Amino acid sequence: MSKMLMVTPGRCIGCRTCEVACAFRHAEAGVPGRSRVQVRTLAKDVWVPILCLQCDDAACVQACPVSALWRNAETGAIEVQEDRCVRCNVCVVACPFGNMTVESPKKAVIKCDVCGGDPACAQFCPTRALEYLEV
Amino acid sequence: MLNLDINGRRVTVRKGTALLAAIREAGFEVPTLCHHEALEPYGACRLCVVEVREEGRDKTRVVTACNYPAKAGLQVETESEAVVETRREVLDLLLARCPGSPVIRELASSMGLHRSSYPPDQNRDNCILCGLCVRVCEKLGFTAITMAGRGAEREVAAPLKEPPPDCVGCGSCARVCPTGNIPLVDRDAMRRIWDRDFEMVRCTSCGRAYITREYLESRVEASGLPASHFELCDECSRSRTAQTMYRHMVLDDKEASHE
Ligand code: SF4
Ligand code: FES
Repeated sequence: MSKMLMVTPGRCIGCRTCEVACAFRHAEAGVPGRSRVQVRTLAKDVWVPILCLQCDDAACVQACPVSALWRNAETGAIEVQEDRCVRCNVCVVACPFGNMTVESPKKAVIKCDVCGGDPACAQFCPTRALEYLEV
Repeated sequence: MLNLDINGRRVTVRKGTALLAAIREAGFEVPTLCHHEALEPYGACRLCVVEVREEGRDKTRVVTACNYPAKAGLQVETESEAVVETRREVLDLLLARCPGSPVIRELASSMGLHRSSYPPDQNRDNCILCGLCVRVCEKLGFTAITMAGRGAEREVAAPLKEPPPDCVGCGSCARVCPTGNIPLVDRDAMRRIWDRDFEMVRCTSCGRAYITREYLESRVEASGLPASHFELCDECSRSRTAQTMYRHMVLDDKEASHE
């Protein structure tokens, strides 16, 4: 059984707790990272949190010229192998969902890694708009 | 699988593993400047030196770990006197070559070297000839820049020292350069790198210039992905994803209310 991050946009209240939780979980040397999840405002009182869909046929993986993106067999999430990434940024442009992100001056691009199997966004979302569920 | 000893710790690695990888797997660190996991080892900076004793030999040797294979029975020291001395000497020379490079200065001062014992080279840029730019360019399939010249004249350049005709302006060389020596300037939807100007494509939604046209075209071809994947910047792709999800949500609601 594997788990996935599920989004129920109708429950999102736009509080952006997920963004903060993500940034802190991915902190390096005490400095919060850029959030891998982003909440978009679509209409009055309508928000949608966007994060990587961990596609089966992922464009980022296909586009990467140095095989720096692999799927973690345990979590099913595609992870950036930071030592291999050459920051050509092709994946950032190629992902049709916009879920690859540049975080300068980091040595690699960043993406959602479901926090290794315990995603902070879902843990802290107060309305269960983000949930980590068995699928 | 083979066994070797690193700083007295027994480790087991797969055959074909580079010594540097074995050392890191064992939890030890050696400094590197010319090494990148995605590129072939090059052995140029000599910063990754370690001391090894091969099985059945008395003598030890100082070797570069990045391009030396892990061998069965090898005894490795990463902080021995010979290693520290060699590493210091390497940094002493690098510091003379690039006295203005913050990266080199930091590495040097971590070994207690604040000034080079050689006369500083004031006229040179911060290139340390690590070859990372040349190798990444080759890896991405462009081979637009090469190493040219010998000895003290050696430098990274385009063939014939002209602005490189095969460059697509991707900027990967500038980003892997450990000393930040390759200038890249984006302005007014133009990118300047290696004395060439590249037109940048604007996102069809927000208008941000996000990639050079030549790079975009080469990547569509190389990846085999549909060109439509590349037509928005990442921010606008995200917004489009949000809108798609929202539309589904509204549709789901409508269906639910019809039931
Ligand atoms: S930026 Fe890194 S992960 Fe993305 S395609 Fe380039 S090398 Fe691969
Ligand atoms: S990292 Fe081994 S010689 Fe540069």
